[in-house]
Amino acid sequence: MPNNFDLQDTLDQMLDSTKLAAGTAAKEAKKVAANFLKNRKERLALLAELRLSGDLPGDKFTSRLNDEKLLLEAELNALAVFTKSSAQATAQNVLNIFQSAVLSALPASLKK
Amino acid sequence: MLALCNFRPTRFLLLAYLLFAIGSLSSCKVQLVPSFNAILAQDIVATAKKIDNFYLSMHEVPVNKRQYQLFTNGYVLLEADLNSLLNQNKVRPLNKESTRISEIAVTLWIKYKTEHKTDDTLSDGLIKLNRKTLSDLLYAMQVAEDAKNIPNP
Repeated sequence: MPNNFDLQDTLDQMLDSTKLAAGTAAKEAKKVAANFLKNRKERLALLAELRLSGDLPGDKFTSRLNDEKLLLEAELNALAVFTKSSAQATAQNVLNIFQSAVLSALPASLKK
Repeated sequence: MLALCNFRPTRFLLLAYLLFAIGSLSSCKVQLVPSFNAILAQDIVATAKKIDNFYLSMHEVPVNKRQYQLFTNGYVLLEADLNSLLNQNKVRPLNKESTRISEIAVTLWIKYKTEHKTDDTLSDGLIKLNRKTLSDLLYAMQVAEDAKNIPNP
């Protein structure tokens, strides 16, 4: 292995990058999930209010509760995209770190 | 024949993994979600705004004048907008989550339209609920699209 390529150092950089990205993604995901939760709370409050006021008779109330399942599915799908996208960005960054470490260690004759 | 006798599944799996890893590194492009689509993101925001406007305008009309017939045009135009969002999501690879969110939006839109048509009126409370439900759905769609724009750390 060439002297100017430090595998351990490269792996440490890759790990640090992953930790940083995972922390940032977790914070963002938490924010999004909190917004979904807030929206859900508001909708459920409205549903209860309409059921109690008589605006929503029993069958319609049940039907709207079923809509809530679809909304939950939509929100979970949105969070899934968020998670996948964060993983994609992290993996790409880790690969870039590795590739750039290997490229910078290459002798000029092999860089073509 | 001898080679076949020496075949070991674990070695084969290891080789397959190594080939995959080398292939992944050499292509150097990780793709789990489609690229961010700025036009679609704008379309989502615009559709959300139109739906909000539709229900707010309906709320201004007195309850006894909220016959379905008066709102048919709005329902049809917005259904077309939601269908367009669905199709834009559907044609992109690796996009099943956003496609499902769009499908749910279209399903609920048609359901609420049919309810209005059947009852031939819509109470203030139901307008509020429909508006809130669709606004939250479009928000989820927007989050899903914006999430594709996460830059490298």
